[in-house]
Amino acid sequence: MKFQGLRRSVIAIELIALAILLAACGKPSQQYATDKADGVYFTVPLGWTKIPTLAINSVEAKSTSAGAADRLAAVHWQVAYTLDKSLKAEQVLSLKTPAKPVVYVRVRSLLPDEINAVSYNTLRNLVVPITTWASGSDPTAPALSIADDAEVVEKGGRGIQTQYTFRAADGLDQTIVQAALMSNDHSTMYIMIARCSSTCFTAHSKEIAKIVKSFTVRGPK
Amino acid sequence: MSQLDSRPRDSDRKTRVHLSLFDRSKFLLLFGLVFLILVWASLANDPLLSLSDAVITEFNARSWIIALTGIEIVRQIHFFFAEKAAGYHKIWQRYFAFVDKTVHRISDWNRYRLSRAIKALLMVALLAVVLGAIYKETPIKALFLAPQALWSALPMLGQLAFAVVFIVIQFFAMFWFLSRGGIDTYFPDDIRTRFTDVWGQDHVLNRIRENLMFLESPEAIEEHGGYVPGGILLWGPPGTGKTLMAESMAGETGKPFVFVDPGAFNNMFFGVGVLKVKSLFRKLRKLALRYGGVVVFFDEADSLGNRGITTTGSRASESSIFGSQCHGGNYLSKAGANIVFQDQFVAGTAMGGGGGGGMGTLQALLTELSGLKKPRGFFNRVLRRTLGMRPKNPPKYRILVVMATNLPEALDEALLRPGRIDRMYRVGYPSKAGRIRTYEGYLEKVSHSLTQDEIEKLATITPYATGATIKDTINEALIMAIRHGRTSITWADVIKAKQLKDLGPAEDVEYIERERHAVAVHEACHGTMAYLVRHHMAIDLATIEKGSDYLGMVASIPPDDQFTRWRTEYESDILVSLASLAGERIFFDGDNSSGVSGDLESATTIASFMEGHWGMGSTVSSHASNRRNDIGAPGGGKGKDDGVRELRMALADRIEENLGGLLAKAEDILRKNRDDVLALAHALEIHKTISGEDVDAVMQGVIGPLVDGRPYKDQQNREAIERYHEAALKAHKGHQKPDIEIPRF
Repeated sequence: MKFQGLRRSVIAIELIALAILLAACGKPSQQYATDKADGVYFTVPLGWTKIPTLAINSVEAKSTSAGAADRLAAVHWQVAYTLDKSLKAEQVLSLKTPAKPVVYVRVRSLLPDEINAVSYNTLRNLVVPITTWASGSDPTAPALSIADDAEVVEKGGRGIQTQYTFRAADGLDQTIVQAALMSNDHSTMYIMIARCSSTCFTAHSKEIAKIVKSFTVRGPK
Repeated sequence: MSQLDSRPRDSDRKTRVHLSLFDRSKFLLLFGLVFLILVWASLANDPLLSLSDAVITEFNARSWIIALTGIEIVRQIHFFFAEKAAGYHKIWQRYFAFVDKTVHRISDWNRYRLSRAIKALLMVALLAVVLGAIYKETPIKALFLAPQALWSALPMLGQLAFAVVFIVIQFFAMFWFLSRGGIDTYFPDDIRTRFTDVWGQDHVLNRIRENLMFLESPEAIEEHGGYVPGGILLWGPPGTGKTLMAESMAGETGKPFVFVDPGAFNNMFFGVGVLKVKSLFRKLRKLALRYGGVVVFFDEADSLGNRGITTTGSRASESSIFGSQCHGGNYLSKAGANIVFQDQFVAGTAMGGGGGGGMGTLQALLTELSGLKKPRGFFNRVLRRTLGMRPKNPPKYRILVVMATNLPEALDEALLRPGRIDRMYRVGYPSKAGRIRTYEGYLEKVSHSLTQDEIEKLATITPYATGATIKDTINEALIMAIRHGRTSITWADVIKAKQLKDLGPAEDVEYIERERHAVAVHEACHGTMAYLVRHHMAIDLATIEKGSDYLGMVASIPPDDQFTRWRTEYESDILVSLASLAGERIFFDGDNSSGVSGDLESATTIASFMEGHWGMGSTVSSHASNRRNDIGAPGGGKGKDDGVRELRMALADRIEENLGGLLAKAEDILRKNRDDVLALAHALEIHKTISGEDVDAVMQGVIGPLVDGRPYKDQQNREAIERYHEAALKAHKGHQKPDIEIPRF
């Protein structure tokens, strides 16, 4: 009699353990991309292809532009996910309009001369100079429409999240959602860029929104 | 109530013992718990991770825990079948028996070594796996990375270690400081005292010289298979030069001399004494090796204490010092020794243990004195053994232990056994020659006018003088001389100094005439009797000056060093003691004062010992052994109830009878020498204090140093003295002043 309670609880625990084991006989519901050292996390739906850090690094290393080596050295983590299985790492870094959505995340230290110079506008102009284009002062500026522009405040830093569409050099309309954050001590920049052609973007807007929403910056521990 | 059935034996059981539910599930629970912790950890690591995804990823990542769980489940299933199916259980039992048989083919010792080796390998492997997991490297590589991590963690480990031993260090330091002190080391020539400065103890000095000689050249005895005596005990009354002897040893020897304070081992804390003993002997060993020998001197060794009554029971009487009845008490003055004689044994045994350093100090000392000849030192024991060498045995430490005490019975018996203290020397009162030498020595330092004869006489009349008392007497004599405006000591100064030392200062009390006469007669009876019958003692002085605890006294001293006592001598002692009572009764018409109490006490004590102990009475048997063996005395009762009483009565009767006879004899002698008694009383009344030679002068009618004895032989003077006595007696009876003055010649 006395052991009835104990017996019951032991059985219950064993059943829970069994349930966990059974539940485990499956796959995770989504992909988790994490950079524990910098405290950066986001999730990507299953089916997206990962373009790993090393591949992107090697492409960037080939760049001959001024200060490229310094910038690469400052990179902590960069990774890309895409629905286009044939997408090459080179295309992640080019502005050519992709046919299928590409999400690119980059975490890097700020260079000493950047630390004082960085403003919210700098963060807005990371991919294309949208502030100049939007002001209309540049007659060569392509057509641009800004769908959203809001401040993002995360535990690890703050910045600007902007969604805009512009006529790219290849003549296609490209939509970009970019979230760029500065760490609270102005030492690190966290960037997420999700882009696609406008039609493609509309088609995958829910998935892309979910990815962008999952972008979490906790900062280093 | 059902009978308790005994559990079936293992060999009688067909199936396996049923496992309890907890034993069945404990490993599964453990693995489940570990898995949950891992899930929880991964959840904490990624804020975006859902619980189900965390479970799935952990499940995929930690396959080992699944494997372990699987093994455990299989094991439990196996147990379950073994519990239910006898056949299944039997198969396994057979298999295990086979394994056991195979394994036990190796000898136990080899199995033990093998298992140790396997355990060690397993530990290393486990460590490698854990380290590999930590460093995310292959286990083997991680094993080599670990020491680096340990190296970098050393400062923190050091801090931790310091924190742990911080308090220990405080105690350590405190005890270290407490265990200092009380021990002084002197090197040759630090001390200038030599053997020639010790006078009157030549026999002891010769033995000590021999000890030192062996210490200086131990080969002389070691070559022939002997060993250097390691310990000397100097015991004897205070002031006889034990410490001086040790000092002279320090001056004489070419080895270091370590002086241990009597209080060195007394400490507030438990264990400090032990530490002190250990550090002392460490020092001694070091010095012995460095200088080829060392002398250590424990002054007042009785402070080391003892552990109480030993297994032998009556310690005092069994101890080698007290091998005979000529016990340690015989350095007391003879009269004192006689009285204390019996009590001392009782005191010695009843004293029990304790005293001294206590708390293991004595035991530590005993161990150090004759401890194991064991290898010592860290390098010797640990390093040599590590290198596969055998530790070296210690060299022969040549340590000469010298102890001095005036309470040898307070020493622990174990301390005195050969091997610890090999030689025991009694440093007694110096011989007459020694006293002469001592007087000469101290007199040399001052200006004096004493002749050689006088110095010899001085030595004669101071039989129990020690170096210390001689020094003191000479100094007192010098003070007397200086008080009288002189710088040179005369014979009279020395005698006065001696009287002052012996009797204390006179109280300057003037007796009224009749009392003065009574005291003078009392002392004159003693004096006359002593002069007439006590030939083994010479009168030193007679006085009627009141001191602190006497009204007057006749002091006697033995003219020669004498070591045996005889019945006639004791009888004369008793006669001298009883002379006061006899005399007072004769001269005061049967009256007598209470002043005789002390005399009667000593007379009775001596008479008791004569009767009961020394075989000088009417019986032969010893009262001491009669009492010890609980048997009656001759002539006493034998009954169970009143045996003791009758025994006492019988003995007391015989003592009383003896004393009564001697009292009658004393009365007889005094009646026959009535004139001499009165003459001596007269001399005492006139001069208050006279020397033994003056007593002789009065008795013989010759000129003494102070008293001219010739008038006392004149008949007219004798009658005058008799008339004065009559007047004094009348005054005594009437409590008045005598009607005539004391006659003066």
